[in-house]
This record gives sequence, C-alpha cells and structure tokens, in this order.
Amino acid sequence: MSACAEARAASAPLDLADYDHADCLIYGIGNVGRQDDGLGWAFIDWLEEAGLCPSAARQRHYQLQLEDADLLRHQRKVLFVDATRDPSVTDFRVECPRPAMDFSFTSHALSIPALLATCAQCFGYLPEARLLVLRGYAWELKQGLTPRAQKNLGAAQACLAPRSPHPFESKRSQA
Amino acid sequence: MSRKLVIDPVTRIEGHGKVTVQLDENNRVTDARLHVVEFRGFEEFVHGHPFWEAPMLLQRICGICFVSHHLCGAKALDDIIGAGYASGVEMLPTPEKLRRLGHYGQQLQSHTTAYFYLIVPEMLFGMDAPPEKRNVLGLVEANPELVKRVVALRKWGQEVIKTVFGKRMHGIASVPGGVNKRLDARERDRLLKGEPGLLSVDQVIEHALEGVRLFHNFHEKHRREVDSFAKVPALNMSLVDEQGNVDYYHGRIRIVDGNRDTVAEFDYHDYLEHFAEATEEWSYMKFPYLRSLGREAGALRVGPLGRVNVTRSYGDNAPLAQAELERFHDYTGGKANDMILHTNWARAIEILHSAELIRELLEDPDLLEGPLVIEPGEAAWTGEGVGVVEAPRGTLLHHYRADAQGAITFANLVVATTQNNAVMNRTVRSVAEAYLGGRAEITEGMMNAIEVGIRAYDPCLSCATHAMGQMPLQVTVQDAEGRVLDERLR
Repeated sequence: MSACAEARAASAPLDLADYDHADCLIYGIGNVGRQDDGLGWAFIDWLEEAGLCPSAARQRHYQLQLEDADLLRHQRKVLFVDATRDPSVTDFRVECPRPAMDFSFTSHALSIPALLATCAQCFGYLPEARLLVLRGYAWELKQGLTPRAQKNLGAAQACLAPRSPHPFESKRSQA
Repeated sequence: MSRKLVIDPVTRIEGHGKVTVQLDENNRVTDARLHVVEFRGFEEFVHGHPFWEAPMLLQRICGICFVSHHLCGAKALDDIIGAGYASGVEMLPTPEKLRRLGHYGQQLQSHTTAYFYLIVPEMLFGMDAPPEKRNVLGLVEANPELVKRVVALRKWGQEVIKTVFGKRMHGIASVPGGVNKRLDARERDRLLKGEPGLLSVDQVIEHALEGVRLFHNFHEKHRREVDSFAKVPALNMSLVDEQGNVDYYHGRIRIVDGNRDTVAEFDYHDYLEHFAEATEEWSYMKFPYLRSLGREAGALRVGPLGRVNVTRSYGDNAPLAQAELERFHDYTGGKANDMILHTNWARAIEILHSAELIRELLEDPDLLEGPLVIEPGEAAWTGEGVGVVEAPRGTLLHHYRADAQGAITFANLVVATTQNNAVMNRTVRSVAEAYLGGRAEITEGMMNAIEVGIRAYDPCLSCATHAMGQMPLQVTVQDAEGRVLDERLR
C-alpha cells in the first residue's frame, strides 16, 4: 500500500481540512540550515504559499522544548511535521504518537511522546496529536533540500492537498 | 605498567566526547582526559561571506546560547564599521539596553535549562539514581507543580528573547552600530506585568528565589558530599565594570587567583597578547591559558563559578542576588570557591541576578525611545573587530577581519567551554582518583560522578568545536601501553 493510501486508510486518516481552525497547531520541526532537516519547515512554507489551513496556528522550531507542553495544552489538535532518517519510510508516513516518558531529554531537545506525556502530567490535558514524517537523506550545514527529499515532500503534498472542489472553501461556504 | 579507562558518551552534555583514564601498574591515576572528537570548522565556513552576515551565521553554531554568539558578533561588527569600543565609541543607550535585555533574558533561560532540567533532578533524586529517573522527565513524574513553574520561567525567558530579537531562536535584531527595533509600551508591559499564560517579572524573581532555596535545601542535607566533590583550583575570569563587578555584556577582562586577588586585567581587544592556546592530538578542543603564567598555572575557569569568584558585588540594583552573593562569598571566607558542585549554587544566583537586572531594564524608558543605530560613515571603517560577552557558560570571544569589499577574511572564536577545557580535565581526574580507589574497574557510581563533574560546567562541546549535535559518554581505562582494561558506554 502506498504512503498516501495508508495515510487515507488509517483509523484516523489525516485530513488537513480538520486543522483549519484556531485551536489547531501545525508544528514544523527542523533546521533549514541543514539540508533535509528543513523538511518540516518546508511543509509549513507550502501550506502558507498554497493558502491552506489559514486559521491554524503554525510554528517552526529547531527542536521541541519543555515549554512546548504549555503551548500544546491550548490546542485541540496538533500536527507535527518532521524529517526522518528511518529507511523504512519510503517517502512519508503519518503516525499517531502516544504520550510516553521515553527519557530522551537533553537540553537541546525533547521527543514528541515525552512532550505529550509532559503536557498530560503537568496540565492534565492531551491534544489529539498526529505526526507527518518525511524521509530525508542529507544533513550537512547547507541550505536547500536534496532532490530526493524534495520529491518526498511533493508526494506528501500531492496526497494531502485538498481535491477540487476545494474542501476548505466548501466547508466555509457551508458554514 | 600504566593502565587506561575510557568513558563515552557523556550523557546530557551537548556535543560529542569521551573520557580516558590512564593508570600506572598500581592502578593509580596518572592522567585523565576529556576528549572532544567532533569537529566542524565554523570559522572557515564564514570566509568570503559579507561581514554583516557573521553574527547571523555564527549564532547557528548553537541552539542554546545563540544570543551570546549573536551579540558577541554584533560587538565585533560595531568595531569593524568604526562604531565600536575599539574606536572609542560608546554604544547609544537604547540599543545597548536592548542588547542587554536580550542577553539577560537568554542567561535566565539558558541557566534555567541547565539548572532545573539537568541539575535539580540530580539534587532531588541523588547522584546515584538511575539516569532514566535522574532527569527532568523524572521530575515531571515526581513533582509536576515544580515543572510547571520551571516551564513558565523558561517560557518567560524565551518571550524576552523573542520580544527583543524578533524570533524565539536565531533572531537578527542586532545590526552593525546598534539594533533594528525598540520595544513598544505593550511589549514592555507584558514582560513587566505579565498576562494570562505569562509570568510577571516579579513572579519570575520569586521562581528564581525558589531555585536558590532548592540548592540550599540540598546543600544542608548533603554538605559533605557537595563540598568534597572535585575541588579544582584554577584562575577565575570574567568581564567586569569599573567597580570590579561582573558585567555580562561589556567591560574589561579580569582574572583573579585563589585569594580573589587580581593577577591580570586588560582590554579584551588585546586578548592575543595575554592568551595562548595549547593543542593536544587527542582532542579537537584547544587549551587556552594566561600566557604570563604558563599552561598549568595559567589555566582559567569561566562561567557562573568563575564570575561569582571574580565579582566584588552586584551593586545596588539587585538586592536579592546581592544577599545571595554575600552568602556565597562568606562560605569560603572571601577566598575563591573551587568546589565544582558550587557552580550550581552560582548558577542559581545568576538566574536571580538576571531576573533583577531585567526588571531594572524593563522600568527604563530608554527601551521605548531614542536613536537605534550609530552610523559612523565609510571613513570610520576599520575592517577588524573583537567582541566579548559573558555567555551563560562563560567568557565568549569573536574576532573578525574583513577586506575592503566587506568580505570576511578571518574569524576566530574562543568559546566558554574551550576556556574551561583544562579545568574540566582536572575535574575528571579528581573524580577518577576519588572513585577508582586503586581499582581498574569502572563502576556505575564513577560513571555518574564523571558525568556530574563535567556537567557542572554545562559544557557545550558543540560550541567548543564549532559543531552541532549531542554528546553521548564513553569511559575507558587503559594501561601505559594503551591496552584497554575496562570500558563503558552510556
């Protein structure tokens, strides 16, 4: 099954239209100065250029930090977007991260499961979280995605972009 | 026959390194080395770039103390265009105060990370607790209310940085000769008075005081353990103002000995006359020292412990921190404090000091009005600049040269972790001697102690080698012929 089919067939399929609300957050993780580590931010760039999910809060950051737990507690839904080196990811994959104290903390970064667990533990609240991972290949100090990473980003965009008629527009007109 | 122990990787320290302990035939420690084995040449990376890009590029060395790199580079650029201290030009009040505000905000945020996220769990759970518990996530499970306050404190520090520099990370507000924006009253008031979801500066000071109390509570219960853990004499260095008090943003470099007597004081632009750097084939990190005293006697300690040893006082504008500083100085009878775990006490005091300095600045109308940039004209161009600030981890130096077209031809960075290289190695040796006790075996307790000893410096080995990444711990014990007797990875 293709990544796109999996994303659509998952028990909670990823539909970007669901994130077009003020209480939703789309969080790009990465560093545009390190080649394919910039995939998370590039996805946010694409949303903004395409005018998608304009009502959602958008965040770009290098790593997750503990204070992001405070950010999450105000969100109903959160979509994290991050690059991955995992070779089992062909081009992209949608995951449902679960809260877990995985003790991955350094002063540089926190994992998504640890962040969710921190939010639940400290604030007694857990937003609905999804993770879009995009496969990258190069991580040196250089700007710009590699062609292969760019292709994977394109595959995710093609899968997740709304079909016409534009679903966001149709939802807005219904409202 | 001598023997060697190796520890790799050192957890929760930024960068990549390992520890080797050399033993003689009686298993006595003859040498201990903290190796730094990762290297990326940021200094080479900026060659040929326009000079004004240097602070923006070089702050990307680090995701933690980027403000320090940015401001240090900005001060060097002030010099390059002829608007800096090297040309005898005083920075305008508004840009200097805005830079200071961002700088203190970063110190508060960075120290909060090191202290509450990495060190407080050690104090609450004990140095011997398993690493999977002895961290901030263990703290989240054990004391979520404390973590909520810490999250709020760090968030407030981030907001100060974002307000001044325009971004949470890698902001670009400082420009050659000044800054590109001032605060408006709304921005100032939300930091001063707080808002829903954001602390007021008075609440920040309360939380900072709680941090100092946490150290005192721990110290009272574990005084002997804390005070006897790795006592490492060294010179202490900091920027100071005309009264001899620490100035985190600008001043002269002062170096004091164990009696807190000044052994050297000079304009940082003359650093090449005063410092030399030794190199070792086993580490990418250099070993700076005071040239006049030689490599052993001239080894320097920078950072919180170095600064509180150097400073005479905090002046009248930070009464709570001043009271804590006096208690700190009294504890060693006015002599320099060389107890490595007291670095954490010093760090807690500096969180409080930063918060009080920020409050004073937020009440200063210069943040809201006044010219932002000095424009000295093309004739003032010098093509060379040196910037020094007290970064959270210690004295940080950037030195650039640019050609007539404005392209960078030379860059030299001396970061705090590099300044501390010799004393970190001495700390590792002290801990190894205490924990090995004539055995050639690495115990869990020794692994923990080495980790705690190195982490007291909150070293950023990424910065020190101008690299990016995490530093995991490997310890190896070797004999004189280099044969590995024991080795552990974490």
